[in-house]
Amino acid sequence: MSTAVEYRGVSLGYQGKPALTDVDVTLHPGQRLALVGPNGAGKSTLIKSMLGLVDVLHGDAAVFGSDPKSARGRAGYVPQTDSLDADFPISVRRVVMMGRYRRIGWWRPARAEDRRAVADALDRVGLTDKAGHRFGTLSGGQQQRVLLARAIAAEPRLLLLDEPFNGVDVLSQEAIVRVLRELSAEGTALVISTHDLTMAGELADLVCLVNGRQWAAGPPDETLTAGPLRKAYGERAVL
Amino acid sequence: MIEPFQLPFMGRALAEIALLALICGPVSVFVYARRLSFVSDALTHTVFPGAVIGFVAGGLEGVFLGALVAALLTAVVLTVLTRGARISDDAATAVVLTAMFSIGVVLVSRRSSYTSDLTSFLFGRLLTVTPQQLAETAVLAAVVLVALLIGARVMIFRTFDPAGAAAAGYRIAWIDLWLNVIVALVVVAAVRAVGTILVVALLIVPAAAARMVSDRLAVMAVLGTVLIAGAGYAGLLLSWTASLEYGVALTSASSVVLLLVAFYLLLIPVRLIRSAGART
Amino acid sequence: MNWWDDALHRATAEVVLAGALGGLIGVQVVLRRLSFFTMALTHATFPGVVAASIIGVNIMLGGVVAGAVVALGVAALTRRRGQDAAAATGVLLSAGFALGAALVATQSGFSRDLSSFLVGSILTVSPQDLLTTALVLAVVALVLLAGARPLTQIAFDRAGAQASGVSLGAWDIVLLLTIEVVVVTLVPAVGTILALSLIVAPAAAARLWSDRLAVITALAVLFGIGSGVAGLWVSTQWNVAAGASISLTATGILLVSWMGTRLRMRAGLKRVPA
Repeated sequence: MSTAVEYRGVSLGYQGKPALTDVDVTLHPGQRLALVGPNGAGKSTLIKSMLGLVDVLHGDAAVFGSDPKSARGRAGYVPQTDSLDADFPISVRRVVMMGRYRRIGWWRPARAEDRRAVADALDRVGLTDKAGHRFGTLSGGQQQRVLLARAIAAEPRLLLLDEPFNGVDVLSQEAIVRVLRELSAEGTALVISTHDLTMAGELADLVCLVNGRQWAAGPPDETLTAGPLRKAYGERAVL
Repeated sequence: MIEPFQLPFMGRALAEIALLALICGPVSVFVYARRLSFVSDALTHTVFPGAVIGFVAGGLEGVFLGALVAALLTAVVLTVLTRGARISDDAATAVVLTAMFSIGVVLVSRRSSYTSDLTSFLFGRLLTVTPQQLAETAVLAAVVLVALLIGARVMIFRTFDPAGAAAAGYRIAWIDLWLNVIVALVVVAAVRAVGTILVVALLIVPAAAARMVSDRLAVMAVLGTVLIAGAGYAGLLLSWTASLEYGVALTSASSVVLLLVAFYLLLIPVRLIRSAGART
Repeated sequence: MNWWDDALHRATAEVVLAGALGGLIGVQVVLRRLSFFTMALTHATFPGVVAASIIGVNIMLGGVVAGAVVALGVAALTRRRGQDAAAATGVLLSAGFALGAALVATQSGFSRDLSSFLVGSILTVSPQDLLTTALVLAVVALVLLAGARPLTQIAFDRAGAQASGVSLGAWDIVLLLTIEVVVVTLVPAVGTILALSLIVAPAAAARLWSDRLAVITALAVLFGIGSGVAGLWVSTQWNVAAGASISLTATGILLVSWMGTRLRMRAGLKRVPA
């Protein structure tokens, strides 16, 4: 069976300075991997490394069996909404259409199949009625769902989500979880960073516990237990 | 090396720059930290119509008052506009800059020959600074220093953590207005003597250069003052020597600015070495 | 008599082209918050223009070379976001201005050159200048059309664009160089201050009327041309500097747009049932 992500003894960092070390993880298509750890633990670094945006200092990192850089454009990426310009003049439909740009190219107008993919993606996240609205007018949870729809429209085999549940309302959270389950059932490999332990336990079939280094990796019932959590969060962690 | 400065007009020019160094060092640190480079640039342009109206209304005496009114008005307008969300703050700044400057140009262009007015506005008349102008600058410098001392702690808090400052009960808009007014006063104090070219440089370059060497605000402020004083002294000497010994018309404002920029460029390697050292 | 022989006709044609050019690139400048960079460019190309006229080569060439150096410098500096980029832009602005002024001052009769640098000399536009502006307009329109998708993606979501394989560095350089070419084309005709005004004000006004990029762009071009023609007319009627009156007209359009949206918002609020 082919692997989506395979990291062997990987250290990651910026300009030679390590930010996250000892990462050992294997992710197969259809699996859901949760990256768990406190703020600043290196979760975003690990996600960005899967797009080749962070230097690999040691070890072997492979995405779809080759250099992570080649995953750019093939892997979907859902950024945190607070990194975006809320005033930007763009409709929800156009944002989702961006997911198709890799296929459409610069010049060609969008075809019927592109428009259908956009409509389907919006339908899956339950925002069909918002298609004409300006992105910035939506709530935080709705914005997150639009960005998820954009990633779905690109039909990626690997989907990377950076804190998708941050500042998200309950309705949006349920919609996102449902779509993520559907996607993995269809064979998409998922990487989700979160600091919400309950959510990680419910959603993931693999958990990677990080804080400066990888402290544990495996099924939730082996990793989200007192021992590994104390190591990652410190002895005084309240569990 | 001090001989040229025994001439009264050279001595006064040096004194003017020394006074400006005293205030521009610390003020430029705030301009740097709050990213007000563009606002400073805008202020140097928007005093122009004020100066023109002041001149028309009250002759040379009116210029100072006119510039002061225009600068304070701009400080208020910019504070209000940059808080409104509909137009992004850099676009708002650009529009205020061009509109105010255009009003000034319209006013002078009604007269037959306006090119020399514009030129003196750009270059100032550093070598013809009068004792009265020196006194005006000194008074404004004192006001600016006091305003800085009063507002420094709050302004640093607001710069570092706007949400925290607001939560602690400070009115962010008033703090921003305070700093904008300080910058406006510096511009008014300096622009007639040294021209827009030099004022913009004095407000932006010193802290940017000092940042290469230190990341402590107080050190940056002191270093900024030293850099301005050094560039002022050397620049005046340079333009003096160039025009006297070699017959090259080197305007003093330009040479001071170019020396300041040279300091900035020379200090870039220091920054690179420091950050490389911090990594290992 | 040939229509083009009349200085006023040529000036009218030039402001129409310049207005369209400013409006077109202005949308990118406003969305990417590059107004200060544009201002710095207008000043930083100055020494290149002066140096070119002293050596006796094409003025535009001098401006393009000096501007390209600055644009690439800023592109390199903005890779690290933060205060350093804003400050470095400011340093480039001061340096360019001072260097240009120093070069100009070595020539005799320099105050005229300086003031025309600031406010332009639209009535002395030659047929050749017109041709250059038209050519630049065509090229810029093509570049912006070809790059519309990646440029919008980057402007909206840098991290996402990069993840989807768009090359941020290459497109940033394309955009900065395009802005630079526009600035170099506009400054000799309309001056630094007006160039900035024609780029920022129409686009900022257009932004207030619509949330759709295509509409914003069309409106910005329209506003740019409109303020150019109206400003020129005012200037000939009341004998004020054309650069200044065009810039004030553009500001007027922005003010009206701003008040218009305030009224629209207030009307919209009233419609909402309590």
